[in-house]
Amino acid sequence: MNSYDITTTDVLVVGAGLAGERAAVAAAEAGHNVIILSLIPPRRSHSSAAQGGMQASLGNAAMGKGDNPDVHMYDTVKGSDWGCEQDVARMFVETAPIAVREMAHWGVPWSRVRNEKRMYEGTEIVEDPEKVGLINARNFGGTAKWRTCYTSDGAGHTLLYAMDSIVIKLGITVHDRMEAIELIHDGERCYGVVARSLRDGELHVYIAKTTVIATGGFGRLYAASTNAIINDGGGVAMALNSGVVPLGNMEAIQFHPTGMVPSWILITEGARGEGGHLLDKDGYRFMPDYEPKYKELASRDVVSRRIMQHIRAGHGVESPYGPHVWLDIRHLGEHRINTYLREISTIARTFAGIDPVKELIPVRPTQHYTMGGIRTNKDGKVYGLDNLFSLGESACWDLHGFNRLGGNSLAETVVAGRIVGKKIAEYTNDATLEVKSNLIQEHVNKVSARMDAIRARGKNGENWVDIRKEMQMTLELDVGIFRTGEHLQHAVSKLSDLYERAQNVGLMGGGGQGADPELVNAMRLPGMLKLALTIARGALERKESRGSHFREDYPKRDDENWLKRTLAYWPEGAKLPELKYESITITEIPPGDRGYGESSGKK
Amino acid sequence: MYLQKALTKSIRTDFIVEMVQMVSGLLLVLFLWTHMVFVASILLGQSSFGALAGFMDKYELLPVTVVVLIFIFAAHIGAIMRHLPARWAEQKVAWRHAKMIRHKDTWSWLFQIVTGFGILLFAFIHIVAVTYGGISVSLSKGRIDNPGFLIFYAILLLMSEYHASVGLYRIFVKWGFVNRHRLDRVLGVVTLLMLVIGFVTLGVFLTLKVAGGGVA
Amino acid sequence: MSPRELTFHIFRYDPETPEVKPHTQTFKIPEEPAMTLFVALNKIRDEQDPTLKFDFVCRASICGSCGMLINGKASLACKTLTKDLPSDITLFPLPAFKLLGDLSVDTGTWFRDMSVRTESWIHTDKVFDETAQEEKMDDDLSLEIYEAERCIECGCCVGVCATANIRPNFIGATGINRVSRFMLDPRDKRDEQEYFEVVGNDDGIFGCVGLMACDDSCPIGVPLRGQLAYVRRKMAVAGWHRK
Repeated sequence: MNSYDITTTDVLVVGAGLAGERAAVAAAEAGHNVIILSLIPPRRSHSSAAQGGMQASLGNAAMGKGDNPDVHMYDTVKGSDWGCEQDVARMFVETAPIAVREMAHWGVPWSRVRNEKRMYEGTEIVEDPEKVGLINARNFGGTAKWRTCYTSDGAGHTLLYAMDSIVIKLGITVHDRMEAIELIHDGERCYGVVARSLRDGELHVYIAKTTVIATGGFGRLYAASTNAIINDGGGVAMALNSGVVPLGNMEAIQFHPTGMVPSWILITEGARGEGGHLLDKDGYRFMPDYEPKYKELASRDVVSRRIMQHIRAGHGVESPYGPHVWLDIRHLGEHRINTYLREISTIARTFAGIDPVKELIPVRPTQHYTMGGIRTNKDGKVYGLDNLFSLGESACWDLHGFNRLGGNSLAETVVAGRIVGKKIAEYTNDATLEVKSNLIQEHVNKVSARMDAIRARGKNGENWVDIRKEMQMTLELDVGIFRTGEHLQHAVSKLSDLYERAQNVGLMGGGGQGADPELVNAMRLPGMLKLALTIARGALERKESRGSHFREDYPKRDDENWLKRTLAYWPEGAKLPELKYESITITEIPPGDRGYGESSGKK
Repeated sequence: MYLQKALTKSIRTDFIVEMVQMVSGLLLVLFLWTHMVFVASILLGQSSFGALAGFMDKYELLPVTVVVLIFIFAAHIGAIMRHLPARWAEQKVAWRHAKMIRHKDTWSWLFQIVTGFGILLFAFIHIVAVTYGGISVSLSKGRIDNPGFLIFYAILLLMSEYHASVGLYRIFVKWGFVNRHRLDRVLGVVTLLMLVIGFVTLGVFLTLKVAGGGVA
Repeated sequence: MSPRELTFHIFRYDPETPEVKPHTQTFKIPEEPAMTLFVALNKIRDEQDPTLKFDFVCRASICGSCGMLINGKASLACKTLTKDLPSDITLFPLPAFKLLGDLSVDTGTWFRDMSVRTESWIHTDKVFDETAQEEKMDDDLSLEIYEAERCIECGCCVGVCATANIRPNFIGATGINRVSRFMLDPRDKRDEQEYFEVVGNDDGIFGCVGLMACDDSCPIGVPLRGQLAYVRRKMAVAGWHRK
């Protein structure tokens, strides 16, 4: 028998990033009691690290003139390589301009259109005097118009701070350093979660009418990722653990073209959007050769592959951390770099000792985003369990399909937060608060038993550090940008072994008392391996190339057989995920040519 | 809301006290520097010093100055007390903190507290001496000739110039009209100048042959 | 040249086991090229002591989780390169915050309390109109607001502040900077007297004694002294006008 506190509320949101907080605000505005659980103080969430901006077709900037939701829609669908849900994308593009203005209303100091001329790639840009002072936009990859609204290069930071200020204003309760570990459910309905305090290690039970998972992505499954270290997929693994909730398109992993070597910290796409170039070891700008139209600003999957292709052809710069290419922003000038690319120039100076005003930045494609996640319908309601919602990067709402456009993730958080948040509020109106004490006890016991077993194994168990490293290297080497059946098969069997070993994880240090960080990490390990296996298996089975999923043995998109979404389940006691497929909703734009990438550009 | 806070009529108190601290501090610096210049008049000759002393005497400025000075002193101390680490536990925290973060301005604050209390004690003695003795070249000369008093004045001089310099620096920094590090240098030079004047004055007194001879 | 051996002296204390007195523990690791304290601390935890507590999230000087005293200087551990330090490195948690264990402190609770007390949100009667165009703002003003809003709530300025260490209610440079951010913003309709009620007292701007350890410590270079002086002048005017 374990003691634990029980807290009840109307809406329980797990994760205090932008998506979670926006949904919480919507629910609170509708009069519901809301509690947010977070691993860390909300303002430290990974949303704050989004630098570039959010897409919304305001059309204020001269280079965005004539933009509208239809153009945004087309860009998004093309970007997704026709893998996205088009009804979701339609809602998204229509809502994005409202969301960006709402954030302005809440205090985001968006960069505004300036009354000055500017040279960009040899052309002079003259702003419309009528539009001066309205929200500005910059150029981003895979977009027909300049559409990405920004605050210098701290867009995520200012959005998150403004959002959290509303959470504080509304008096929404936040329990930080509280890790949700287990969904309380009966196979049909979700009742809340069992959580563990990272302050003292105590278990807490949260019972809610509606539970929401908004825990972000899981980039840290990879060895080199731009993600924050908390992005290990805890919430997603928790959903998968239920045995009845499927994860969608887990094989769709985005590699950002410009992770800085070797810290793998992100250099924003805004750097290329502002006019930055990619150079090879000879200082040659190679992207126009591959992508004559979009150059450095094709979609991320394409640019990443083109960089690797160029490196494979022997044009990479050798370094102790492997070959890389250069990002050149010197020609933008000191003022523009230090004003609108300030954070990244600080990062380059601090972490690489490079002054981007005068020097080149070493970059290589690096894991950045997970398009897949907890599969939901267009209302954000999770497949398989009632009273459970998910949104943001943790969800597969499926706005992004097989490749997300830069600037669409930040936009997704606040747009989905608005749309799904309202649905959560409506749903909660009709929901009842039910507490089944034996069900709670069952799940608490399950968590306690896992902790006790890890403690009991102690030094006789496996070291979580070793297993995690092997998992990260396996994904990095075998489930990367270029994939083959052979490597993927190897990854699946290797990860299966690791998953077995993870069942015997122990503690090398102390006794796992209180908030011992080793126990925290050991507890997370099996879930991370489950996610890694859904990625590898999904990639192995998908015998085509679509968006970021590129199979060298199946280099073509195959709409006839694969215009469908992978759903990965993990039934209780299974050793491998079970894969099912569902069709993709296509409402307005039939599959066609992307206009960039291998099928359109040069081979 | 707490009862005592609800019963507090004016929330301007902290602001007013802050202003009192600043104005009284500025007046004390002004006094200190004027005082230094007056005393340094000995450098121009005994007659200059005598003339100033006579002037003070004639208009009975000495008692007025003393009363006003005590009032300003009291105001300054009263205002400053609210920011000081008053309790013993707070003192320990403050000193340990300064040691831990190795920060120059934080150390200078602690020295300011020490010199503040030092000045309080020393200035009290000085004021009593002057009030009961009066001001004249020979009186001053008499005190300086006593090695105890010489050291006493040297220490008082150092303490008050340091305290004034740091206090002024902080006022400028807090209200923010000047570059901090340049300000630091300017005030350093001013303080050094004042110290030089002060010590030269002490030296002059020490080597002085008082006109009319003898020690009063 | 063989790599240096780094000797870390790390503060250890677990509030859960108060019988073990606070002490410093020594760890030795070989230095690596471009090594940050993020890399070094994780290496120590992975290889030598898995119980060591510290906080990192973004490891890119964006999130503000890893403020600590590094050889006495408050900064972000993630952005501190070991090559800029002597081979003996002493790490202490940030003072002034509740200690959660070893190098981990509870900045979250402190900052939330500060945000509530300074009412850190846009105060306006306007209701958001979904159909309306946004209000115009000069880009220079938005840059000025962003300058203050760049604060990442790492707590370095609070940790080094002598006043904050003695007076738990003092909102610190970060709190005063926060208020200045809203003062600058025309969308916030609070007048000077309303700000005076929030910050015109000894828990706010008049509690600052001007030691400027904050200004010397901000790891991302928010111009704290300028912000403090700006609020002080504004609040002096407000205090003067107040009936």
